[in-house]
Amino acid sequence: MINDETLELHKFMQARRTLFCYSGPLSEDLLTSISNPVRQQLSESESDEGVAKRVFGVFVEQAQNIIRYATLRADTGEGVGTIAISVTENDGFLIEAVNAIDSTKRTALEATLLELSMKDAKELRKMYKDRLRSGPPEGSQGAGLGFIEMARRVQRFEFEIADTENGPVFVYRGYVS
Amino acid sequence: MEQAATQRTPHIEISGAACRIVGECYPENIQEFSAPVMSSLRSLVPDSGAYQVEMELFYFNSSSAKFLFDFFEFFEEKAASGLAVKINWNYRLDDDTMLEAGEDFAEDMESCEFELVGVEVPSEGEGEAE
Repeated sequence: MINDETLELHKFMQARRTLFCYSGPLSEDLLTSISNPVRQQLSESESDEGVAKRVFGVFVEQAQNIIRYATLRADTGEGVGTIAISVTENDGFLIEAVNAIDSTKRTALEATLLELSMKDAKELRKMYKDRLRSGPPEGSQGAGLGFIEMARRVQRFEFEIADTENGPVFVYRGYVS
Repeated sequence: MEQAATQRTPHIEISGAACRIVGECYPENIQEFSAPVMSSLRSLVPDSGAYQVEMELFYFNSSSAKFLFDFFEFFEEKAASGLAVKINWNYRLDDDTMLEAGEDFAEDMESCEFELVGVEVPSEGEGEAE
């Protein structure tokens, strides 16, 4: 007998109109491999190249956040997370990312995202520029610009740091249309 | 120096008279990508005379923004000490993201001539692959 979960998984993904979903260890090599199928899916479901590019841009930043900042898998040292792109009711896009984080980084991450969520487009643009000039903050492996970039490309975003038995998990939802 | 585009890096040409960067930029490792470019610039770009920079990026990620900042800063310093630098930032007319990015880089330019050049969107495909 076929496991019901498999059918449920299929139904769930279809109902959510998920174009792409990956869950597991993520590396730059893997991001290279999945970039093309993601873009292909996007160009098939979105005729506006600007929208497709913004979705792709948010996806790349989310993926690189997982690669750099997710709690690392002990054996491979790779970040583990889930990343998905789905079509929303109004035919926009929802880009989601989930990954475990180090509990020591929780407060700083919360503060950063709360600050970003209150800024308008003009303020975000200025923040991005200022950060570019001043260089990355301590503990950042990228330019520290990723979350600002994401905030600039989405209409709005939601985030949450959920407690699980294995520690805090970061959840990010960005909407592009 | 000439480097063909890859899936995640742009086509790059650097000579003693001009530099051209065309494509997309979200390298797997930004340091590995930027180090040879910056070192080619340091060895090839002269201190005086004229120099032409052509930029035509369709997409770059946030890590590459720092590289572009350093790239333009290099030319700004050269220009401040006597090289006549002309930079064309080519963007597709319907691409507000790349226009805004160009405007922001332009703001920091005092000694370089920095021009935002809107180009027509090609009818299909991702522009010339070289």
